[in-house]
Amino acid sequence: MPALTVDALEVRFPGLDTPALAIPRLDIEAGARIGLTGPSGSGKTTLINLITGLERARAGRLIWDGTDLARLSEGRRDRWRAANVGLVMQDFHLFDGLSARDNVLLPLRLSRLALPAGAGEEADRLLARVGIERRDQKVETLSRGQKQRVAVARALIARPGILVADEPTASLDAEAGAVVASLLLALAAESGATLIVASHDPRLIERLDRVIRLEAGRITASEG
Amino acid sequence: MFRLVAADLRRNALGALAIVLIVAFATALGVAVTLQERALRLGSARAATAFPVIVGAAGSETQLMLSAVFLQPAPLGLVPGKVLASLATDPRVAWAAPVGFGDFVEDYPIVGTTQALIDGLGGLREGKSFARLGEAVAGAGVALRPGDRFHPLHGQASSGGHMHGETTYEVVGRLAPTGTPWDRAVLVPIEAVWRTHGMEAHTDGDEHEHDAAEAAGGAQAEDGKAENGKAGDAHHHAGSAMDPHAALDAARATAANAPGVPAIVVKPRSIADAYKLRQDWRTDTTLALFPAEVLTRLYATLGDARRVLSAVALGAQALVAAAILLVILLHVGQRRRQIGALRAFGAPRLAVFAVVWMEGFALLGLGLAAGVGLGYAAARAIAARLEAQSGVALPVLFAPDDLTPLMVLAGATAVLAMVPALLAYRQSPAAALRG
Repeated sequence: MPALTVDALEVRFPGLDTPALAIPRLDIEAGARIGLTGPSGSGKTTLINLITGLERARAGRLIWDGTDLARLSEGRRDRWRAANVGLVMQDFHLFDGLSARDNVLLPLRLSRLALPAGAGEEADRLLARVGIERRDQKVETLSRGQKQRVAVARALIARPGILVADEPTASLDAEAGAVVASLLLALAAESGATLIVASHDPRLIERLDRVIRLEAGRITASEG
Repeated sequence: MFRLVAADLRRNALGALAIVLIVAFATALGVAVTLQERALRLGSARAATAFPVIVGAAGSETQLMLSAVFLQPAPLGLVPGKVLASLATDPRVAWAAPVGFGDFVEDYPIVGTTQALIDGLGGLREGKSFARLGEAVAGAGVALRPGDRFHPLHGQASSGGHMHGETTYEVVGRLAPTGTPWDRAVLVPIEAVWRTHGMEAHTDGDEHEHDAAEAAGGAQAEDGKAENGKAGDAHHHAGSAMDPHAALDAARATAANAPGVPAIVVKPRSIADAYKLRQDWRTDTTLALFPAEVLTRLYATLGDARRVLSAVALGAQALVAAAILLVILLHVGQRRRQIGALRAFGAPRLAVFAVVWMEGFALLGLGLAAGVGLGYAAARAIAARLEAQSGVALPVLFAPDDLTPLMVLAGATAVLAMVPALLAYRQSPAAALRG
């Protein structure tokens, strides 16, 4: 359960005078459940990309339990992310043509030559936990709510210490969104993972322990 | 990883199939050109092996070879009977046989010759050899059975020849298959051909030479004249009605005063003899040649044609490669998000590279393999048609040398598949997810 320390982080895009994201200091304690909110273009996705290592910070430090992502190469960030981060995204990003179970196992299959012992059972357990009964069903035949639940199971297959969700309920109806939100909170608690959720959805945000509000690339409120 | 590749390909099954087919056709083009050219070369070379040395009247070497070995009708000059007589008694000669043509039954050439050539071609498969003037031996590919009777036709039926109604042959035997145009020939005694064309043994070897040239060698040339109703033509055909039951006398065909023939097949006793014979019979009036050597010269010319064809095939392949590269690039572009997601979920760059590369290589490789099969099948089909037309057995086969270009092609395919893989490899996952 890593804790995050952000220090003097700044992201600038060419041609813009003001930085797109500027965070002098941000601490997230291990096991915390954080909401990240703010209007479109406020820098939520940029921040998510940085703290998951999808993009590299050019200025400042981003330290997860002693690992400064700003200093890691692309390949090492990929490896770090595979080992430490579970991702849930708005558009699910499941792979059509594969079964729910194969989708859950895909990150493990792609990052090592052979599946670790017990991975199959873990996938089955997670799918049962998120309420997917027909594990061998092709994902393209699932409903949107079911798809997002498969994506949640996939995010947890490598037992990550950090669970990051980017607008996990934005493309779902209220009911399916509530189910996914409950699952994220419960599963993060069960595995003890640090949870970071970027969302516009007030019903999801209010269930989190602490909310960080971004506006024009700056943290305007950090409460909880 | 393989499941992902398989699922991807299944999802785009139609597009994948189209790419495989295009690659297959492009490959097949090159393979078929190579195989067919080799089949023609081998087939014609094998057809020539039964004819070690050909002696004919001075003229075109290529035409003499084509007429004697491949039975291509052409107006050839005649070598006087004394040449055959001299060859038949030459100690360096194992056997020598005349080849006289000009008549047809249906579209099968009738070749006048002697027992020596029947033995030289590999003997009979059924029945017996001709022993009388009116008997004939059919080639393995001729649609005539022992017991069938026919009148020879001067010129080919398809080009409007006229019938020698006064002559009748009866098929008494059948040659073993030779894989040469001679499978489509009907062999009759050379004396019968002479008689049909009114050429009798004479004392002066030069007296009838002009007429004889037209009669025995000049099917095409004479057709025109016959239509013009030239009076001089009549004596050939109205000439002595032959007695089909008259027994053959081998000595008559090789007598010094026998009529002339368009070509003589000579089997020397040794290679040294072959060279000496060729030298001896290269005179002002006669021509001696090794068909294999003439063929080699022809191939040298054909070789250039093959190079052109190969270049065309190669160009087509390059175009296809470029088109496919474009398709794959577009495809990778469409799959930016999928590739970005793979990375985001922890797939190492190398795994993404491998997935994209495998998909490309699987398609191109499959097309390549299918193309080799398709090219082989096409070459077989073409060879079968040509065989039916010409009688030349065309062996379609792969040579060890074929492996090199195929390996090069497979290697090029592997490299080509790397282009989209590298592109996917270099994509930033964050940017790809946004896009």
